Amino acid sequence: MVWLSNGAVVVVLALASLAGIAVRRNPLWHDAMRRLARRRPITLMALSVFGLIALLDSVCWVGGETGPGSGDAVAAYEARSLLDRWFEPESFRERSYSAPFAAEEFYGAAPLEHPGEHWLGTDVLGRDVFFLTLKGFRVALLIGGFTSLIVIPIALAFGIAAGYFGGRVDDAVFFLISTLASIPSLLLLIALIMVLGRGTTQVCIALGITSWVSLARLVRAETFRLRELDYVEAARALGVSEFQIILRHILPNLAHLVVITFVLLFSSMVLAETILAYLGVGVDGSWGQMIDRAKDEFSRDPVVWWNLSAASAALFALLLSVNLLGDALRDVLDPRTLREL
Amino acid sequence: MLQVVSACSNDPYPSDDQTRKVLYRAFPEAPKTLDPAVAYTTSAHAITGNIYEGLLEYDYVARPYQLVPALATGVPEAVSAPDGTIRYHFELRPGVRYADDACFELSESESSKSESSHSEIPDSPGSTPTTRSVTTRDLEFSFQRLADPAVASPIAQNFAKIRGFRQFSANLEQRRERDASFAARPPHEQYALVGGIEGVHLLNELELDLVLDAPYPQLLYWLAMPFTAPVPWEAVAYYDGEEGRPHFRDHPVGTGPFVLTRYNKQALMVLEQNPRWREWPQPAPGHIAPLGPRAGSRLPFIERVEYRREKEAIPAFGKFLQGYYDGSAIIEESFDRVIQEDQLSSDMAERGMRLEKSVEPGIYYLGFNMDDPVVGAPAGERGRKLRQAMSLVIDIDELSRLFLNGRGVPANSPVPPGLFGYDPEYRNPYREVDVERAKQLLIEAGYPGGIDAETGRPLKLGFDTPDTTSTAQLRSQFHIDAWRSIGIDVELRATTYNQFQEKMRNGAFQLFRWGWIADYPDPENFLFLLESSNGRTRSGGPNTANFSNAEYDALFAEMKDRPNDERRGELIREMQSILERERPWIELYHPEDYSLVSPWLENVKPFGMSYPMLKYYDIDPDERARLRAEWNQPIVWPAYALAGLSVLIVVPGIFTFFRERV
Amino acid sequence: MWAYVVRRLLYGFITVLGVLFLLFLLFFTVANPEDIARKAVGEKASPEVYAQWLENHGYDRPLFVNPEYPTSSLARYTDTLLASHYHDMLTFDFGRSDADDTPISARLREGALPSLLLTFPVFLGGLLFSIALSLLIALFRDTYIDRMAVVLCVAAMSIATLLYIIFGQFLIGKVLRWFPISGFSGDPAVVWRFLALPVMIGILASLGPDIRFYRTIFLEEAHRDYVRTARAKGCGEGSLMANHILRNAMLPILTRVVTTIPFLFVGSLLSENFFGIPGLGALTVEAINGNDFSTLRTMVYIGALLFIGAQILTDVTYTIADPRVRLG
Repeated sequence: MVWLSNGAVVVVLALASLAGIAVRRNPLWHDAMRRLARRRPITLMALSVFGLIALLDSVCWVGGETGPGSGDAVAAYEARSLLDRWFEPESFRERSYSAPFAAEEFYGAAPLEHPGEHWLGTDVLGRDVFFLTLKGFRVALLIGGFTSLIVIPIALAFGIAAGYFGGRVDDAVFFLISTLASIPSLLLLIALIMVLGRGTTQVCIALGITSWVSLARLVRAETFRLRELDYVEAARALGVSEFQIILRHILPNLAHLVVITFVLLFSSMVLAETILAYLGVGVDGSWGQMIDRAKDEFSRDPVVWWNLSAASAALFALLLSVNLLGDALRDVLDPRTLREL
Repeated sequence: MLQVVSACSNDPYPSDDQTRKVLYRAFPEAPKTLDPAVAYTTSAHAITGNIYEGLLEYDYVARPYQLVPALATGVPEAVSAPDGTIRYHFELRPGVRYADDACFELSESESSKSESSHSEIPDSPGSTPTTRSVTTRDLEFSFQRLADPAVASPIAQNFAKIRGFRQFSANLEQRRERDASFAARPPHEQYALVGGIEGVHLLNELELDLVLDAPYPQLLYWLAMPFTAPVPWEAVAYYDGEEGRPHFRDHPVGTGPFVLTRYNKQALMVLEQNPRWREWPQPAPGHIAPLGPRAGSRLPFIERVEYRREKEAIPAFGKFLQGYYDGSAIIEESFDRVIQEDQLSSDMAERGMRLEKSVEPGIYYLGFNMDDPVVGAPAGERGRKLRQAMSLVIDIDELSRLFLNGRGVPANSPVPPGLFGYDPEYRNPYREVDVERAKQLLIEAGYPGGIDAETGRPLKLGFDTPDTTSTAQLRSQFHIDAWRSIGIDVELRATTYNQFQEKMRNGAFQLFRWGWIADYPDPENFLFLLESSNGRTRSGGPNTANFSNAEYDALFAEMKDRPNDERRGELIREMQSILERERPWIELYHPEDYSLVSPWLENVKPFGMSYPMLKYYDIDPDERARLRAEWNQPIVWPAYALAGLSVLIVVPGIFTFFRERV
Repeated sequence: MWAYVVRRLLYGFITVLGVLFLLFLLFFTVANPEDIARKAVGEKASPEVYAQWLENHGYDRPLFVNPEYPTSSLARYTDTLLASHYHDMLTFDFGRSDADDTPISARLREGALPSLLLTFPVFLGGLLFSIALSLLIALFRDTYIDRMAVVLCVAAMSIATLLYIIFGQFLIGKVLRWFPISGFSGDPAVVWRFLALPVMIGILASLGPDIRFYRTIFLEEAHRDYVRTARAKGCGEGSLMANHILRNAMLPILTRVVTTIPFLFVGSLLSENFFGIPGLGALTVEAINGNDFSTLRTMVYIGALLFIGAQILTDVTYTIADPRVRLG
């Protein structure tokens, strides 16, 4: 498992650098990136920080010290991420609630183990809220990222097949798309999870099934257009194989669609997860779950506000950056066709 | 906008009801059924218990729980006959009548016509609904319904000791399968044709004997619940869910102090006083006094009870704090708002709120799957030591402090306080926190420091739960943290309900958390949870731990039907010592029922079990109106501030616009 | 023309059949009916009660092929769950709830009004507010108001609905005490009191994405030639917006409106729960928590049906309104 998650990190980093190289090589994309960086410097910076936090929480290995006075004998045998090693959550905890920067426990005023060190307080089990919030970044990126890994290939395959080959293939794909699209997505999502069961993978698969349709529809329409273009016709006349045409001429021209849809889907999926968390079928460790948990604490007296606020603020920060990026990307890459999303 | 804000109030009720004795309660989910033979949940009994009345009931105030007569004239003694049968003699109070209902009038007009059952039934009931007196026939009918397999009463097997009870079910089912025209008749005719239950013996209109094949003293407790309350056959026949009529399960007709006048499962349930209830003089018990000018008047004191649906805890509790709910017993999440260190918070005390508490006869526990090769019986001594070690690190005081605010009595054995066999002095040696001893036991079990020699890693166990609510997850995490401190790696598997059931059925689970609330105050109702024939995986029974111990089973068999004597206490102690050693459960706590009571509500005494106590409640509506007004002054200035702010934003914009564009 | 309408209707029907098959796969083949029984009857019941329950609810039949009948008999294929699923759903015979045996159609009738009372004002108010505000913003394009408004919209979009509800209820219901925190009433004189808060929150939550969408449309129109011509003719900025741009932007607005209408009936999952409104959204959540598969699949089916119907309606009106448009 450790190798799997670290392997995944390596693959993601490799893909990212490959994408970076591709962008540098292609003058159009290079130019778009430059304009993007000029338009939204802060957003890009914030997103890189969020990505870095998620990365810190993804690189993990077994071994090493678990912190002094640790009440957790298992942690030493588990893969702990860089973030875990930095915070040492096994020992950096209290018995119960502590307010931000407090010197004593929230109820009962017992002295704390780490007075004044919990920047965002602790939760009912005494876990540091700042740490839990940071861990949420990885979960959020997982929800968005893993789901896109499911969505993009499916949507591309179906969309291109329908748009390029037309006829029966198109009929079948269009039928599938219109069937799935006619079911209200939240209801379908819930039904899928009730059937698939609870769990991170299941939620991502369900999110994937419900959200590939919109991208597939766009890809199909765009492929229709591309197929009729002169240079594609020319390639076909020259006897280039269908597969080669799709790979060389169709796919690269769909890249901007994929990039923009990915960014826009990302925020909608993270938002959908908060509703799932409210219904008790969310992803473990997500901000949605933190919010769901904290909404009851919000009626305590004196009110325990830091849990809810921390999770809400982090969720807001990530979604705001992603949405601003999506906005800018849309303007930079494609000013017209995607306003529906 | 401002007009609206300043004119509106947050009072959710019609203003006419301010001066009336209307009790407001919140319910999170409507009961699935109000059929007294089937309804088996606390939320259902809160309604059915007030609509139906059985032969017996409990004394509202006396503890330990004490049975008193309700529709019967006395609590009968068991009389054993030479042939081994047991007989209970009941005498019904004369003049008990059902609440007014349309079904009685219709059946009258129908029977005055010909016997043909397919004669036309009038669409709308007449303007003067009637009632009729309760006879022993109605009681017989209730027993027959319990036995009817089509009614599917969940507690039917508890009455199986009544002579001829099983036979009646079997006959009924056979006749129905053979004869379609028989099956089409209304239930009461079917029952009469099959010939009734032998052990329900009617002597005359007001007297009946119950004959049991074997001793079953718990029977009387069942009679104090709504299951056997008299039910009019007219209602069952008429309310069949066809042609726009509601189904009987949604339209109860009983003899109790209240009648259900509105029943919208999504939003509102209304109970109103039943004018037919106990027309004989019925003074309130000595310790229950009505408020103010109504002193000396008859029960019930309140006119109407409105149950309003609140799915979320926060709004429900918020409205309680605003005075729009009169009591708050059900809303678990909000207790920490009110109780700090086992005391009413100062804010609450200032508002005149009162705290009432009583121990519920129930238990929450962590269970092991005793069929599991690692934690269960197949692991022999290793498994036993492992369970003992895991039991030794669960700190119930800390759990209670974090999640219950002290709202629970630490459990040392399955038997809760208030029941026979509960020993307040008894301390289970494995239910005290002793980390050192736990570590020692783990070494003896072959898991030094929690390390499983086979893998070289901490022992990995699974903890299954179908409860995916956030509070439950935190509690589970609490247990997991405790086990991690001795090096056992327990993984929480919070699944959907269906996944969980699947695991239970296949026996594919190791640890779980479960609770049990008593149906009747007898230790048998707890100790049977560990009897081997009730094994969950093998027979689908309530022994979720699949605990199977021959010695325990033998003791249980001897204990279960004994009267509460010395020997019974001894047997229970022996069973406890088996459980203490074997540890199929880690007993957590016996829940305490904390009710928060508004200052205007009187005569509230938490009962623990389901109990129809509404008839004793009383309300001071004037005091309530005064306090509500005091607590609900709207704060209006933010509305003005908001309006001002938007002007501040928009006006410079307009100036800019005109400067640049025009 | 008529041929197109018929074809479109036929295609809609085939889609419905597809949706039904999907529902069958989801709700019948994967979940074990015994678990539904256990949840419905309760943990304390005996196995015979579960078996009886399964029989009463028809879950004891085979899925696709009934081996009790001979191979030649048609009943071999009709006395199955698949056949009865199609039959019941297509004849709108939704049967009884798995959780408490109430007829589902009665539940739907009961829940539709409260849901509409909540969703319709939210929809209408949201539409009016967002069109008015986005027109205003389009009027102020390229000023600081426009830039600020876009950022505000994006920010508003980034707040989860759950948070709007939690904070809105806390602030307005509990702290400021303007309206009842939750509740519902059938009495039309009182009901607005309960609806005010959820409607306000619902409108607020919808403003972000809507304003941004409409603003884009208006700006697109504002850059077209006819607008420039009108302006050159001396048409005022205000009347330009109201008379020309708004009118021409009607088509995309209408598309969005028609496709949102079906969702009004499905109700609002979160609001109805938090505010205690007995609508269809609350019913859905209850079905999820109560393992009530029959209600849930009915809700999904109704949602899909309304959506398909609305789509057919849009397509057909388009063809009538504009003969150049040929869809599908």
